[in-house]
Amino acid sequence: MEATFKERFSLLQWMQRRLFASWFDSAATIVLGFLMVWVVWQSLDWAVFRAIWSLEDRDLCTVDAGACWAVIEDRGRLILFGLYPYEEQWRSTLACLIIVLTIVLSCLPVFWSARRLILLWVIGFGLFVILMRGGIAGLSLVTSEKWGGLSLTIFIFSGVFLIGMPLAVLLALGRRSSLPVIAKVTGLFIDFFRSLPLLAILFSAAVVIPLVVPEWLHGNKLMRVVFAFSLFFAAYQAEIIRAGFQSTSQGQEEAAIALGMPYWSVLLDILLPQAFRNTLPSTINQAVITFKETSIVTVIGFFEIMASGNAAIGTGEWGQQFVEVYVFVALVYFVFVFSLSRYGAWLETHMRVGHG
Amino acid sequence: MNKFISNLIVAAALTVSGTTIVQSADEGTLGKIKERDSLLCTGHNGSYLGFAEVDDKGAWQGFDVEFCRALATAILGSPEKVQFVPISWAQRFPSIQSGDIDVIIKVTGWTMTRDTELGLQFSRPYFIGPFYTMAKTELGAKSISDLEGGVFCVNAGTTVERVLADYMETNGIEYESLSFEKGEELRAALYAGRCDAIAGFGPFLSSTRINAPDPDSLTIIGDVIKLEPEGIVVRQGDDALLDVVNWMVSALLLAEENGITQANVDDVRNNPPSPTVERLLGVTPGAGTRLGLNDDWAYNVIKAVGNYGEIYDRTIGESSRYKLPRGLNNLWTNGGLLYPLVHD
Repeated sequence: MEATFKERFSLLQWMQRRLFASWFDSAATIVLGFLMVWVVWQSLDWAVFRAIWSLEDRDLCTVDAGACWAVIEDRGRLILFGLYPYEEQWRSTLACLIIVLTIVLSCLPVFWSARRLILLWVIGFGLFVILMRGGIAGLSLVTSEKWGGLSLTIFIFSGVFLIGMPLAVLLALGRRSSLPVIAKVTGLFIDFFRSLPLLAILFSAAVVIPLVVPEWLHGNKLMRVVFAFSLFFAAYQAEIIRAGFQSTSQGQEEAAIALGMPYWSVLLDILLPQAFRNTLPSTINQAVITFKETSIVTVIGFFEIMASGNAAIGTGEWGQQFVEVYVFVALVYFVFVFSLSRYGAWLETHMRVGHG
Repeated sequence: MNKFISNLIVAAALTVSGTTIVQSADEGTLGKIKERDSLLCTGHNGSYLGFAEVDDKGAWQGFDVEFCRALATAILGSPEKVQFVPISWAQRFPSIQSGDIDVIIKVTGWTMTRDTELGLQFSRPYFIGPFYTMAKTELGAKSISDLEGGVFCVNAGTTVERVLADYMETNGIEYESLSFEKGEELRAALYAGRCDAIAGFGPFLSSTRINAPDPDSLTIIGDVIKLEPEGIVVRQGDDALLDVVNWMVSALLLAEENGITQANVDDVRNNPPSPTVERLLGVTPGAGTRLGLNDDWAYNVIKAVGNYGEIYDRTIGESSRYKLPRGLNNLWTNGGLLYPLVHD
């Protein structure tokens, strides 16, 4: 009894000190408080209380009604799978799960050795491509033009990360090389890709390259775009990693060399782990940005989740439910990006252990 | 070292020129399509109301999509032998030049710049794109001049904005313009009563009307503010393919003129009423080989997708959600602008 009184008293005290210290504070608290309650209430009212959930009640979806989630029931598969053949969509689902599992596993410290990571990704990525593309083991062939929705978004993201990350390490090493030629060339490469807008790079990869390069060099459009995206990613990530290298003291490297450790060992056992750990927040940041930037490929005709969302509302039947579809797509992005950020936060505290 | 580089250049030049020789030998894109046994046609990056939409099962539907299927049927005999390459508006011209697609069937206006400067060739218009206005019914407007002084909502930075301004200027009608970035915002503003009228492409106006809380509160006004003839685009120099495209469009119109439909095409072929229809449906031998096609190509097309009127009706006309009136896209015999060529 006494404790509750005390708690309540301290809560009141806290409120008085923090929220109602002066008449201006009080006014601000009341106005903003009302505003907050009103916004939350309105959103809930729209999204839950007045919402129409079932396709059978589709006729009730008018301008005055709340959210019409029936659109997700009707067009959800289109949003998630894009143009992927309807009967084969289980493959896309499975492929998506496999790649998410691969990402999650490679986030666990148990897998942090070069051999395990490479093995994990060769298996995970290989399974993904086999499932998505088919053409063997009795699976019908689905060319990459028909890939779409969430699995395409994740494919582009992980492809970019997979090619871009090793490239970024190489670029960062190149830039701090003692050979002026290598340092200058990589520096130029990085600055070149950072000076171009991502859209221009992707558009060139998708549209311009086939015009200027002979046909046998064209390759697959999706691969070209993923590769170009990786170059862009690598240019940024290389600078982040370089900052990581610079933050480890010179003395460590010199000491290791003085002890007679070979270069690769110095790099892999001393420099890189510290560089990665020190730049973890920026790296997670870059990963989050990259995940969201994948939606730019809509402009060059890929059916990733944003484009398939647009396709879902681009029909006379569901043209009015664009807010619902965008909210749904935003939720999908949120789930991925939020988990990525939380993982980053967990990793930071986890790695502090024993860091002194 | 210099010798090595010059050898390399010669080798590269040979490779490039070698491929062009091969291309010209197999009669251009038409030959390539036959060899590939598949037509690469334009899809859309998303959906474009009534013309290229994706249905619940991820399959393409729409007016342009049906024309892609019709062309595939004419050349390869089956509406299934077409791959839809999703392509944005900006991408369509570079993509056809690079060979990502064989034809553009994507509501593409026939303009002089595109025809002369981009290395493209247009077919005869297969669709006459009308820009209309749609006003609140309560205003009782019969023509655009009745809307003098009203608030017109348009999409910012589109052709519509310019076209409307031109029309109003020419006809000396004062109006207030309110522009919106996205189609959805425009619609919301209209439904909320902020606009007296909106201007836009026919199918967009129709679907806006159908989705309104009360469709009868909006009326499409008959005045056409601008016409945009839409053509099917091939690369400059693809004469053989362009011939096929033009005669396919003509065949669809001729079929409609003669009352040949998907349902009765077999009966008509068994008892052809006229020599023209005999040639059209391939009863007369040699009718198709002149185009490099099978004699029964037009029969296959009508069997697969129906005549022009049926395609229109199904995708954007009366049987669709859009209920866009035929208007200028009717046959000349019904007051429209479309006519078949002479199939002799």
